[in-house]
Amino acid sequence: MEALSDNALMMAVRDGDVGRLGLLFERYKRPLYGFFYGMNRNQELSEDLVQNTFFRILKYRHLFRGEGDFRTWMFHIARNVSHDHFRKDKLKYKESVEDWQDRLGHDDNKEGEMEAGETNSMLSLAMDRLPADKREILLLSKYQEKKYKEIGEILGCSEGAVKVKVFRALQEFKVIYQQLEKTM
Amino acid sequence: MENKIEELIEKYNAGLTDPSEVSQLEKLIEEGHVDLTKLRDLERLDNQFNAIEAPATSLTLDDKFYAMLGKEKKKAETSSFSFSMPSWDWLAPRLAFATVLVIAGFTGGYFFNGSNNSDVKLLTQQVADLKETMMLSLLEKESATDRLKAVSLSTEMDHVSTQVTAALFKTLNSDPSVNVRLAALEAITPYAKVEKVREQLVRSIAKQDSPLVQVALAELMGQIQEKKSVTEFDKILKDKNTPEDIKKRIKDNLNVLI
Repeated sequence: MEALSDNALMMAVRDGDVGRLGLLFERYKRPLYGFFYGMNRNQELSEDLVQNTFFRILKYRHLFRGEGDFRTWMFHIARNVSHDHFRKDKLKYKESVEDWQDRLGHDDNKEGEMEAGETNSMLSLAMDRLPADKREILLLSKYQEKKYKEIGEILGCSEGAVKVKVFRALQEFKVIYQQLEKTM
Repeated sequence: MENKIEELIEKYNAGLTDPSEVSQLEKLIEEGHVDLTKLRDLERLDNQFNAIEAPATSLTLDDKFYAMLGKEKKKAETSSFSFSMPSWDWLAPRLAFATVLVIAGFTGGYFFNGSNNSDVKLLTQQVADLKETMMLSLLEKESATDRLKAVSLSTEMDHVSTQVTAALFKTLNSDPSVNVRLAALEAITPYAKVEKVREQLVRSIAKQDSPLVQVALAELMGQIQEKKSVTEFDKILKDKNTPEDIKKRIKDNLNVLI
């Protein structure tokens, strides 16, 4: 299916063949969901945000020029969707101390998972303990397949600045991960 | 300069850098002199994190998305001119089909001429890709005949992608035509030995309101010995609206499982 590039599909959607969005949805629903779920750990909300992202893609399809990468454009929208959601509903958005307390409060379950010897659970737990901006940069790096230039376009900064952000996030991630390893 | 950078990287990898050296390293990373992959521990951790697969989404998301897309398609259709030129929607599957035929002809020619194997492989792949596109496109048609064509196209594919499987399950779970749903089930049957397919088949039982599809699913569950389906069928058996002869046929199939 890669014979039909993302950009070609999105151009077709833009030009009126909206059914083609189904193929893009099938390609990207999971990475998008992974990005949102990595940010908020809420299955229902993450699926709503995926749906909202595709809704906006449809709504603003006329703005897709096909010059850049579709995936980058999509993650740009996804990031806005996520920010708008939390801006609209500040009560649900418990960042900083409250958020941290929540995350730490879930340790019992998470530690149960760790006892099962799952490295992945420990990585997820370490991820949860990172501040939101660092989590976001690592998730973007993952789902944008380390295309730092494109991530820079999403975040509005240079490729070099993205690399430094990733470096700092990974450093903190490593420290948290090592602390968790010691507690096992 | 290069030696100094190498030294700094070595020092960082050994965990011996002080804060000022880390700042220096950041500057080098920003300027593109140091690749993040050179920082061993971070690279390993990043790779481990990236190797974790994204969690799967639920079928509810699919349902919501395709409902939204359906609405948007209708809106797009009604707002467009009733122009005599054929629409892309109408033209696409036909063009794809014509292209499939042409490429298939070329592929056949290559085989007969004993030509380069990699070219043949490429063409075969292109035919498969086009078939898949056509199948997915036809599945979205309003005409049940077109959707039946789409399902039968999937049975001609050597390898079925996850997109095709997902489309077939969506058809099985929500297509308005019973015939199309039955055809989708038949198309899925050859893959029923795959664990994920079995799980989705079991989930599909609750979504069926047609007795014909319910019986067909019960027969398939009996054939593949899927015991997890018993709970789902129990609900159908307890339902007062299920006709008695259908209940009997389902029970006959369940007896093989219990």
